[in-house]
Amino acid sequence: MPDLIDLDKLQPIDFDEVLNRIGGDSSFLMELLTIYFQEFDDKKHLLEEAIASQDYIQVCELGHSLKGSSANLGLARLQRVALSLEIAGREKRIRPAQEAIRALEAEVQTLKTFLAKNTLP
Amino acid sequence: MKILIADDDPISSKILQKNLENWDYETVLARSGPSAWQALQDESLRLAILDWMMPGMDGVEVCRKIRRRKKYKYTYIILLSAKDRTPDIIAGLSSGADDYMTKPVNFLELKARLKAGRRIIDLEDKLLFIQNQLKDLASRDSLTRIWNRAEITRFLSEELERGRREKKFTSVIMLDVDHFKKINDFYGHSIGDQALLQVVSRLRRKVRRSDKMGRYGGDEIIVILPNCGQAEVKNVGERLRLAVGGRRIRTELDAVPITISAGCATSDLQQATSPEALIKTADKALLKAKEQGRNCVIVSGEARQRAREKENA
Repeated sequence: MPDLIDLDKLQPIDFDEVLNRIGGDSSFLMELLTIYFQEFDDKKHLLEEAIASQDYIQVCELGHSLKGSSANLGLARLQRVALSLEIAGREKRIRPAQEAIRALEAEVQTLKTFLAKNTLP
Repeated sequence: MKILIADDDPISSKILQKNLENWDYETVLARSGPSAWQALQDESLRLAILDWMMPGMDGVEVCRKIRRRKKYKYTYIILLSAKDRTPDIIAGLSSGADDYMTKPVNFLELKARLKAGRRIIDLEDKLLFIQNQLKDLASRDSLTRIWNRAEITRFLSEELERGRREKKFTSVIMLDVDHFKKINDFYGHSIGDQALLQVVSRLRRKVRRSDKMGRYGGDEIIVILPNCGQAEVKNVGERLRLAVGGRRIRTELDAVPITISAGCATSDLQQATSPEALIKTADKALLKAKEQGRNCVIVSGEARQRAREKENA
């Protein structure tokens, strides 16, 4: 599992990087983040089901997909945690997978708090 | 220009869509391999951005399916993937993708790569256009725009082959303009050409859609009639004769009275008929029509047929 301690060094969102990729349109970024949060809720339910039925392929795929959308929005911390979920799924390890899901939830919360405090550039 | 975005990740798909629309592309979205494949049945979709990892069927498989299909115009494919190792890139391109980009996508780069893709598509369109033009030039008569001799002969041999398989008659009408040489000599070749064009246009209105008409040489016109027996070919021949000879043909100089003579021949169902033999038979019947005073239709074998019927009666 990647070192989660490193996470604290990273910002929840890299505004510069993501805005650069979407042409500086901050309202579009808000739109994307809304989609991201909805997707996250859907995927979290699917993940819980997958873990309950020990469907590791599904765990791995959901981790992969969350990793991708996080990377797209400059969410480096979430990207890392999603990667650890993907790996846990691939290695069929239930405990790290469960830990990763909790870490994802915590990171989403951190991101929401961060967004509430920091207005977009 | 239309472009397909096939990506199961809504965020990445949305960002792609936004950028592409800013660059004036018309976007079509798919969220899975099968729906991408479905969308690509639309021939006007010439550009596709496919994500490698997709549910149902991955991007690489969609690429392979596109490259296997025939008769479709070229689809330019950019494969997207988080996989950035050389073997992955090679595998992606080997599946038939034209280009490969790693995620997250750099959009300036994507824009430039799409431009390169459009150059390929434009080039293909130009080639196809020229190919069609050449095909047309090679198969049509330059004056009348009806099929030329090579093309109409090829068509006849195909029809004879088909007729043999399906046990159906194929008929040929060979016709020419009566005293065409005199028209040319008297009015000049340009008026002769005008008259010939009018003759063709009158004939064209009287043949069936399934019939094909070609210029056999000079003022000789040949009509191929699939699925048409001896009795019907006689009727068609008469119809053509009346259509041309019914009223004078107007040219630049004069309204010229023009008639045609026609010789008809029908394939044999008992034994194979070669295109050359059938044309020759029709030609002989045409010669007979000329001998009988022109402006008439002679069907080869008709006299024999009638005699046989009389014997049987």
